[in-house]
Amino acid sequence: MVSEITRQQFRRFRSLRRAWYSFWLLVAAYVLSLFSEHLANDRPLLMRYDGATYFPTLKFYPAEAFGGQYRTEADYLALEASPEFKAKGGWMLFPPIKSDPLRSYLRESGSPPHAPSARHWLGTDDSARDVAARLLYGFRSSMTFALTLAVIGAAMGIVAGGIQGYAGGWVDLAGQRLIEIWSALPFLYVVILIGSIYGQTFGVLLFVFLLFEWIGLSYYMRGEFYRLKHQTFTQAAQALGAGPIRILYRHILPNAMVPVITLFPFMLIGGISSLTALDFLGFGLPPPTPSWGEMLQQGLKYLYAPWLAISSVTALFTTLLLASFVGEGARAAFDPRSSNAIR
Amino acid sequence: MPSAEPAPAGPLLEVDGLTIRFGELTAVDGISFRLAAGETLAVVGESGSGKSVSALALTRLLPPPPACRLGGAIRLEGRDILQLDEPSLHRVRGKEIAYIFQEPSSSLNPLFTIGAQIGEAIRLHRPDVKDPVAEIVRVLDLVGIRDPEKRHRDYPHQLSGGMQQRVMIAMALVCQPKILVADEPTTALDVTIQAQIIALLRDLKQKLGMSVLMITHNFGIVHGFADRVIVMFRGKIVEEGPAETVLRSPQHPYTKALIACIPRLGQKQERLVTIDYSTLGK
Ligand SMILES: Nc1ncnc2c1ncn2[C@@H]1O[C@H](COP(=O)(O)OP(=O)(O)OP(=O)(O)O)[C@@H](O)[C@H]1O
Ligand SMILES: [Mg+2]
Repeated sequence: MVSEITRQQFRRFRSLRRAWYSFWLLVAAYVLSLFSEHLANDRPLLMRYDGATYFPTLKFYPAEAFGGQYRTEADYLALEASPEFKAKGGWMLFPPIKSDPLRSYLRESGSPPHAPSARHWLGTDDSARDVAARLLYGFRSSMTFALTLAVIGAAMGIVAGGIQGYAGGWVDLAGQRLIEIWSALPFLYVVILIGSIYGQTFGVLLFVFLLFEWIGLSYYMRGEFYRLKHQTFTQAAQALGAGPIRILYRHILPNAMVPVITLFPFMLIGGISSLTALDFLGFGLPPPTPSWGEMLQQGLKYLYAPWLAISSVTALFTTLLLASFVGEGARAAFDPRSSNAIR
Repeated sequence: MPSAEPAPAGPLLEVDGLTIRFGELTAVDGISFRLAAGETLAVVGESGSGKSVSALALTRLLPPPPACRLGGAIRLEGRDILQLDEPSLHRVRGKEIAYIFQEPSSSLNPLFTIGAQIGEAIRLHRPDVKDPVAEIVRVLDLVGIRDPEKRHRDYPHQLSGGMQQRVMIAMALVCQPKILVADEPTTALDVTIQAQIIALLRDLKQKLGMSVLMITHNFGIVHGFADRVIVMFRGKIVEEGPAETVLRSPQHPYTKALIACIPRLGQKQERLVTIDYSTLGK
């Protein structure tokens, strides 16, 4: 189903270097962040102890196994420092970031937030948690949230807009009025209200965002479906005896994907920044969760600890910038108006 | 309606008092005509006289009722099209009555190869075909596309307008329809290509023995192509008869004016004949 035109559009997208590299940087960063447990963790990736090999980031080992007293998970940092560990010829290979995002590292001298050091590259926050680890996990949760939101929201927008554009008439009229009323609901109040009733979990936040996410794309899809329904080739297919389902799936939907592709990066940007804003205000993901909004908030609170603000702002800015480059490139490559000029 | 008799001698298509209304506007006002098996009927008339909507009405390709109302009867081998339910209608479209439209470039879906689009017609109406690709290649060859084994993998934008129209004809023919409706199939094409397409249609209709309903502005096409002619004017049929008779001795002033417009070889035309609408009346 990949036509010559589509291939040409992909080729054009690839030729836009800035968008192409931004796209792969983002993809690579997200794929890497999916392995955050092995990139930022205070458990070692690999451990030799007493002649045996262990993989603590993959598997749970109780403290008992290494001469501790409890059945709870071993404290590898303490273990590494213990003289008996060294005596038994043990060694550990740690992930690049040697910290867990949820754990406080109070053994540092001074009081938190700690300034960047060799142990904590980007310093620690006010609870002495490692900033680099929290940035990484925060990136993963922001991206996962925004991607899920954009994918489901786009699907909903396609369906809602498609129904209106294809059916037309009173369905369209009623749908448009309903959307006008719906989109006038104050988003923040709905978030606070639903969040305070059902708790601010990932799922609840996603649900509330989804209530509104589909609206923007649905306008475009409505127009596309309406336009394509009246195209000669749709009518030719009708004259050939194709039923409405076939016309929708084969002739209208595939031709209506351009706005989806060009809007998707911007939906992603919207998702990341809205979640960050909500976290910043304290209505987002619940406290210990690593989140960029919460880190920004700390940055503002502890202006004397600039590593907090600088790291979170830089991370957010870079991510949004890369996503905008992708969006800009997608628009240039897939928008039919620009493609006409080139062809 | 008395449509029960299996009349084999009756016309293939019988349009009886067809009326098409768009809200207040009556686009077609009670036209009646017949089309016999194997016959070629030309429908001539000026822009807006209701030719296209009449052709679309034959398989109810017009907007559904509140926007557009149809009256009268359209009998295809005795069955009234206007009374058919949707599924039966889908089986008539393409399978019994196929269309070719004016704009070949926009009549093809840009995202699929021409082979895939002809294949869609095969899948819809001829599920018995074992080897669709062979059939696609066969019809492309039939409509004069060179190198059909390779060409069927082309996308519409890789073809010229004339070739696109040939593909549209192939798509219409692959279902072996009884009636081919061609709505100004050459208007969007270059003059030399026009002649080629008309020659192709003439050739095909003889080879396949189907009925053709040819809509055109151009009396030049009628000559040597159509058996009979209908002249439409403001939603009504104002003249009807064998093609040669109408061409030789037109009765209605509008027909006379149209025929006078045909350029003739070796005959110098001082002025283009214009139509004086004030004298035509109703
Ligand atoms: N979907 C529609 N809604 C409203 N009016 C329509 C619609 N389609 C056609 N009409 C009207 O019906 C009349 C006949 O149109 P039709 O397209 O049949 O003309 P035509 O004879 O084919 O002209 P042309 O030679 O320019 O193609 C016109 O007045 C047109 O405005
Ligand atoms: Mg027309």
